[in-house]
Amino acid sequence: MATPGIMIAAVERCASEIDDLDTLVRLHWPRVFRFALASLRDPDAAGSVAQDCFLKAYRSRERFRGECSTEAWLMRIAVNLIRDYARNRRLQFWKRAQTSAVDLDAAGQWVPDGGASPESGAMAKEQLAAVWNAAGGLSERQRTVFLLRFVEDMDLLEIAAATGMKEGTVKVHLFRALQAVRERIGRSQ
Amino acid sequence: MSQHLSSQEISQWMIGERTPQQEQHVRQCSQCGAELDRLEAALALFRGSVRHWSGRQGRAEPPAIASMSPARGSRIQPMRWALVAAALLVLAAVPIYRNAQDRQRQAEIARADALLLEQVDAEVSRAVPRPMEPLVKLVSWDFTSTDERDENRRDTTRNEEIR
Repeated sequence: MATPGIMIAAVERCASEIDDLDTLVRLHWPRVFRFALASLRDPDAAGSVAQDCFLKAYRSRERFRGECSTEAWLMRIAVNLIRDYARNRRLQFWKRAQTSAVDLDAAGQWVPDGGASPESGAMAKEQLAAVWNAAGGLSERQRTVFLLRFVEDMDLLEIAAATGMKEGTVKVHLFRALQAVRERIGRSQ
Repeated sequence: MSQHLSSQEISQWMIGERTPQQEQHVRQCSQCGAELDRLEAALALFRGSVRHWSGRQGRAEPPAIASMSPARGSRIQPMRWALVAAALLVLAAVPIYRNAQDRQRQAEIARADALLLEQVDAEVSRAVPRPMEPLVKLVSWDFTSTDERDENRRDTTRNEEIR
């Protein structure tokens, strides 16, 4: 168990990290941008959301009390911004989908070069496309916890802190998301 | 545990909820092990493709701080202030305009009242009401005083003597 001294030092470290916007952006931008991109599937929108996320974090740094990690706090802001963005831009979804369709296709077809046979490569591409499609069909909350768990490698407690959900609720959403993904992968075979 | 993992148990396994019996079964059962490996491989591919896609974007690298907030904030803030100022001006101008109109209307009413009063004064100060004025001319009433009449008479006598 962490002693009060260690906890205070951790909070002070987080606070000083947040006070320095340059360091904050340098350390966490790739992750925030990636999460926004995977959620919105629109590079422009993801860039705007990531930028707004850091601005909001910096402006409200006084309210950060260190009850979670800087990363979880940033992700929480990003989750809220992505949700607001998706709600506000629902009508523009198809326009966005058209502009990013080429990129998204490329992402869904991407398979690392590992000297695999053409057959296994084709199967991997099918599975990957199935996961992309399944993730696109998930509800907003399911997709958020799915991306935080399986793209950002966050554990359940970190996801709970980032989404504001209870750990049990995170589990339920994650379970449903996995069921949907597995069903889709099963259909693709 | 001899039974294979159910669909639900496989999803729970992926979340991290697993019992020691299930772990032992997966170690021994190639079918369940293969199913979990396949799912983990698909998820790892997905993770890799998201990271690859994100890395290919120009925005994947942190932007310069100078190009971020203040520039955008400074563009938005003056616009907001200008809008607020314009709204305040409109709000302030409406009562002022209304006041000016009211004052003009009151001045017109005051002028009309003064004119009316003058007319009333003129009517009241007449010796004879306006409808009776023609009669007065016909009768030619002598309204002059006694002294005036004596003086008139003296003037007449003087004029006769001169002749």
